[in-house]
Amino acid sequence: MSLLEINDLSIDYKLSKGVLRAVDHVSLCVELGDSVGIVGESGCGKTTLGLAVPMLLPENATVSGGSIVLDGQQIVGLDEAEISRLRWTSVAFVFQGAMNALNPVQRVDRQILEAIRTHEPETSKQDAYARVLELFNLVGISPSRAKSYPHEFSGGMRQRAMIAMSLACRPSLLIADEPTTALDVISQAQILTLLSELRHREGLSLIMISHDLAAIKRVCDRIVVMYAGVVVESGPTEHVLGRGGGPNAALHPYTKALIRAHPDLRGERVLEEGLQGHPPDLSEPISGCRFADRCPEVMDICRTQTPPAVTLSPGHIAACHLARKDPQ
Amino acid sequence: MSTPDVINDPRAELVLDVQDLVVDFAGRGSRRHRSTVKAVDGVSFDIARGEILALVGESGCGKSTIAMSVMRLITPTSGRIMSGGQDFASLRGRALRKARRRIQMIFQDPFGSLDARQTVFDTVAESLIIHKIGDTTEQRRTMVLEALNLAHLRPPERLAANFPHELSGGQRQRVAIASAMIVGPDLVIADEPVSMLDVSARSGILRLMMDLRDRLGVSYLFITHDLATAWVVADRIAVVYLGRIVETGPSAELVARPAHPYTRALLDATSDETTTSGPDTGRVLAGEAPSASSVPSGCRFHPRCPKYAELGQPAVCHTDDPTLQIVRRAAPGQREHQAACHFPSDEEQ
Repeated sequence: MSLLEINDLSIDYKLSKGVLRAVDHVSLCVELGDSVGIVGESGCGKTTLGLAVPMLLPENATVSGGSIVLDGQQIVGLDEAEISRLRWTSVAFVFQGAMNALNPVQRVDRQILEAIRTHEPETSKQDAYARVLELFNLVGISPSRAKSYPHEFSGGMRQRAMIAMSLACRPSLLIADEPTTALDVISQAQILTLLSELRHREGLSLIMISHDLAAIKRVCDRIVVMYAGVVVESGPTEHVLGRGGGPNAALHPYTKALIRAHPDLRGERVLEEGLQGHPPDLSEPISGCRFADRCPEVMDICRTQTPPAVTLSPGHIAACHLARKDPQ
Repeated sequence: MSTPDVINDPRAELVLDVQDLVVDFAGRGSRRHRSTVKAVDGVSFDIARGEILALVGESGCGKSTIAMSVMRLITPTSGRIMSGGQDFASLRGRALRKARRRIQMIFQDPFGSLDARQTVFDTVAESLIIHKIGDTTEQRRTMVLEALNLAHLRPPERLAANFPHELSGGQRQRVAIASAMIVGPDLVIADEPVSMLDVSARSGILRLMMDLRDRLGVSYLFITHDLATAWVVADRIAVVYLGRIVETGPSAELVARPAHPYTRALLDATSDETTTSGPDTGRVLAGEAPSASSVPSGCRFHPRCPKYAELGQPAVCHTDDPTLQIVRRAAPGQREHQAACHFPSDEEQ
């Protein structure tokens, strides 16, 4: 049994101008100890998908179809009290820019202590504080810094502290939304290494949401590429992010565009052409492939028929008419 | 990528020549015992006409302070900032305002840098009004539409009437580029111009900037934390660490043969090589960049330097402050490759 199974999930936002489907029939599976990356540009639905697992969706969002099964338990339809028991203990969420969410007037150790005591009232204060120091160690901050205030920490350390807090109640799944975006290059690399270590040492399962392919590539074994609310390609990271075509490389033109967008220091010193246009308006009905208007390899069929998901190699799936035309 | 020949000519006209720039900020403490933070600590560089120089470094390294000093949004503590025969560091009042027309700036945040209540037309026309360019409204109108067209905001007549909220991030940054270019600057300072844009919109903006360099001969000071982007966009790169340039050279050469251990660490951090096979902490630099209020002795990088540890902590690294030295002679038509390290590497990456 998988740790997390998302099946055919759809999520709608109610807006003044109508209903916007942010996540449209998405399926995703995370095994114990897995690390899965969700990539896509702003507005593609990746954060909404992540927020749905601990049911932290905004008030105007509703799950309009599908299921989320975490550790054998169906999440969709649970009431707030039941879900709040799962948060922190089964699944923890590190928000984008979380490092700025620490309370500036409270010591960091106190904040983590409070998290433990709130969710595990039966744990004694001494035991809880021992765990706080353990958590500091785990994320690579010396316990001697535990009594610091957030402003005494650098951005990278604040992000470590947030990760420590998210692990306070020993969740089996950590969902991190853009955990490195606001950090500089070296701190980014340090946080990514930390996430990898936590996974290997502690057996933590990880979902990392990011627009940064390089970051995903450093941490995740599997990757899911989203565009305009749907999964366009998924599979083992080295296949989905592979350059150069063939069965073990990216197939979907959108994935290929994302890969090209970042210069490859080992490749040619050229700046590739970006994509023209914008993603479609999801509050309007869309016929055919959602990427057709921006696709450099668009065919007639793309404008009329929704591309089905095609398996290219074990575990590597692409929803693109090119996959059917050219099944290598 | 064609580099205009003018750059390769050592006598090429410099649009910017910065010498020994120092910027101090007052730190904490009472007036008498106040510490100073040396944000920029003796930086020299120049930019030829039509050249793109990238300043690369972590946040807090001083790269944006350098940019702000060149724009004279900050008054430097000492040093010279020569452009068009004038020293920007000592210009004041009307002379400064007049000189500023030659150096324009594009900011990181296209969502915050445009006035939400102004149309695209008014935003771009404002540059003309500030610098008293154009005699009639009609003439200004023609210039604005031309600038929008140049920035690929097409059709310009329709986009001119739009407000910022009707535009995508990429389009907003094009408006910022049009506003900068319309006054005909020699140099444009671009501070992280694409880091807030969606991945697919980034290369469009960078290609536009490079295209305008080729067509108008404008130079850029390109500020970024991303070495890979600097590598494809810039002719030369200067790597900044704690207020100093620690390595500089032609982009391809610097990336292929990084001489300074810090450049090497940045390259490793930029690479997307997978770490999923297990923890591989050796390649990632440990620790935080020290604060500019307490710069380490000797080489400012030595407390974090993997090479310092590897070589058994040679004394020279913590006693002597290294200066930029030539590590590789200039190839014909190229600028030389310099690094400030006692033990520069000459290995191929």
